[in-house]
Amino acid sequence: MRLLVLLWSLGPLLWQLRTSLLRPEALVAPLLEGNPWTLANYQLVLSGDPPFWRYLGNSTLVALATTLLTLLLAVPCAYGLQQQRGLLRWGVGLGLVGAAMFPTVLLFLALLEIARRFGLANDLLALSLPYAGLSLPLAVLLLRAAFADLPVELEDAARLEGLDLGQRLRHVLLPLLGPALASTGILVFLASWNEYAIALTWISRNDLLTLPIAIARIGGGSVFTIPYGAFAAATVLGSLPLLLLVLVAQRPIVSGLTRGAVKG
Amino acid sequence: MNTAIGAGLELRQLCREVGGRRLLDRLDLAVAPGECLALLGPSGCGKSTTLRLVAGLDPASAGQVLLDGQDLGALSPGERQVAMVFQSYALYPHLSVEGNLELGLKVRGVAGAERQRRLGAVLEMLQLEELRQRRPAQLSGGQRQRVALARALLRQPRIMLLDEPMSNLDAQLREELRPELRRLLCGREQPVIYVTHDQQEAVGMADRIALLDAGRLQQVGSPRELYADPANRFVACFLGRPAINLLAIAPGRQLGLRPEHLHLAEDGPLAARLLRREWWGHQQLLWLDSRWGPLRVLCDPEVTLPTEPRLGWQRQHELWFDPLSGARLHGQGPVW
Repeated sequence: MRLLVLLWSLGPLLWQLRTSLLRPEALVAPLLEGNPWTLANYQLVLSGDPPFWRYLGNSTLVALATTLLTLLLAVPCAYGLQQQRGLLRWGVGLGLVGAAMFPTVLLFLALLEIARRFGLANDLLALSLPYAGLSLPLAVLLLRAAFADLPVELEDAARLEGLDLGQRLRHVLLPLLGPALASTGILVFLASWNEYAIALTWISRNDLLTLPIAIARIGGGSVFTIPYGAFAAATVLGSLPLLLLVLVAQRPIVSGLTRGAVKG
Repeated sequence: MNTAIGAGLELRQLCREVGGRRLLDRLDLAVAPGECLALLGPSGCGKSTTLRLVAGLDPASAGQVLLDGQDLGALSPGERQVAMVFQSYALYPHLSVEGNLELGLKVRGVAGAERQRRLGAVLEMLQLEELRQRRPAQLSGGQRQRVALARALLRQPRIMLLDEPMSNLDAQLREELRPELRRLLCGREQPVIYVTHDQQEAVGMADRIALLDAGRLQQVGSPRELYADPANRFVACFLGRPAINLLAIAPGRQLGLRPEHLHLAEDGPLAARLLRREWWGHQQLLWLDSRWGPLRVLCDPEVTLPTEPRLGWQRQHELWFDPLSGARLHGQGPVW
């Protein structure tokens, strides 16, 4: 059973890895002679100009800035929302759900207009503004739920000891919220990492492209060939930083999952 | 402006209303310095609400909280210098015992050396030295309670509040800890309010008991006063185990007789039928039926019962109530 689940989630990844390592001819039919394995796809991707690492760096910068900005705004929003009672909390919560589900497609033209008017085009840090805006509703909802799970008495005890709001957040609430912050952060990071449409319209300079756009621009030998192998190699390289991120963030998430379970 | 002369804590006409519901209705109470007052009552009676109002964690709808004559109304919980031990202890789960105790001191700007001195003293007093590096999750219930107490004592509070601090401990530990808790908390300068729903605990801990029901103060006094001279039927029923017998003897009058005040008497006025006996070792409890309703009687464990027992009591032990309102009726009952 476990093996089945593992295959279910790892399967596509392994297939992608296989595709990236095969010669183009081997993709469509088994080769009659010679070694089907090759690193040529990776060479093609890495030898581009500007180098592939540049795009990786661009995406990392945007995703990090987005995550930081989102969490910075979402934490006070979530705390404030959790302090409210009754209709106000319910109404704002509903509004956030609505905002989180709003189709991004409808925002392109407006966003493009904003980019033009304020000179935000071709600026990676500016790109994190719409990203953070789009991630914010979901992040606030997730963190509000996390605040709601903390026992009220913990904050009461801190208030009685004379901790002001900032000190309560820093010393008591945020340390306990670590796992929730990590998982919310990963979600935001992923959304920004994968975003295509806004990046396509906001960024036109070749050296500032983010990963999804750069991958889409990889061309084949002619108009009629689609370079599957090169696509696969680029996506494998592009998901390496994500793997690294999840490995690093995994520990607080898992420890957060089990913390409440241990009762003396 | 109102100024009080009396030292200690004083609550004046304190009210708390949430969404049109009265959780606390015009509570007047005074607690002298060094006195331990138990707030007793069934769950939802307003005892925890009262504590939160005194601590400043919730705003009062009306009324005042005065400490040594100073109105605390405008002060934040942190400024009130109140310490509270929560039912759940509310220890910070991510900090060690030491970290839990130090956080408040650090934030209030107590210097390092002074902090260590006070920390050491409290750890020693509560025998927590060996546990200073442990996390709350690694402590037993009793140890967690001691850490919570230590944190409260380190606060050097002007008022000490305890919200059912024993309810998470097993019965035997509770009884063992009671004198310890009393020694640590009471008899200092600050007034102590101890919230509990357990009358044994209230009697064991407190100098006086304030009994609450449905947000209203029913009676306040020493345990002996509440037992012997209850203000109404609720007080009479709440205090004393097994509970008082209520007999509908005449229209408009209800007679309350405690199980320990009834005795077997050949010429007693009350005929009864035995239903069941519970043997407790030092006593036995008889469950009886009579023409005025069921009865509980405490008597000697070795006594043998006649088939048709008759019961008697002394007139001084009679408590009369209005059957509808539960108000205490003073004066003599009917002659038998």
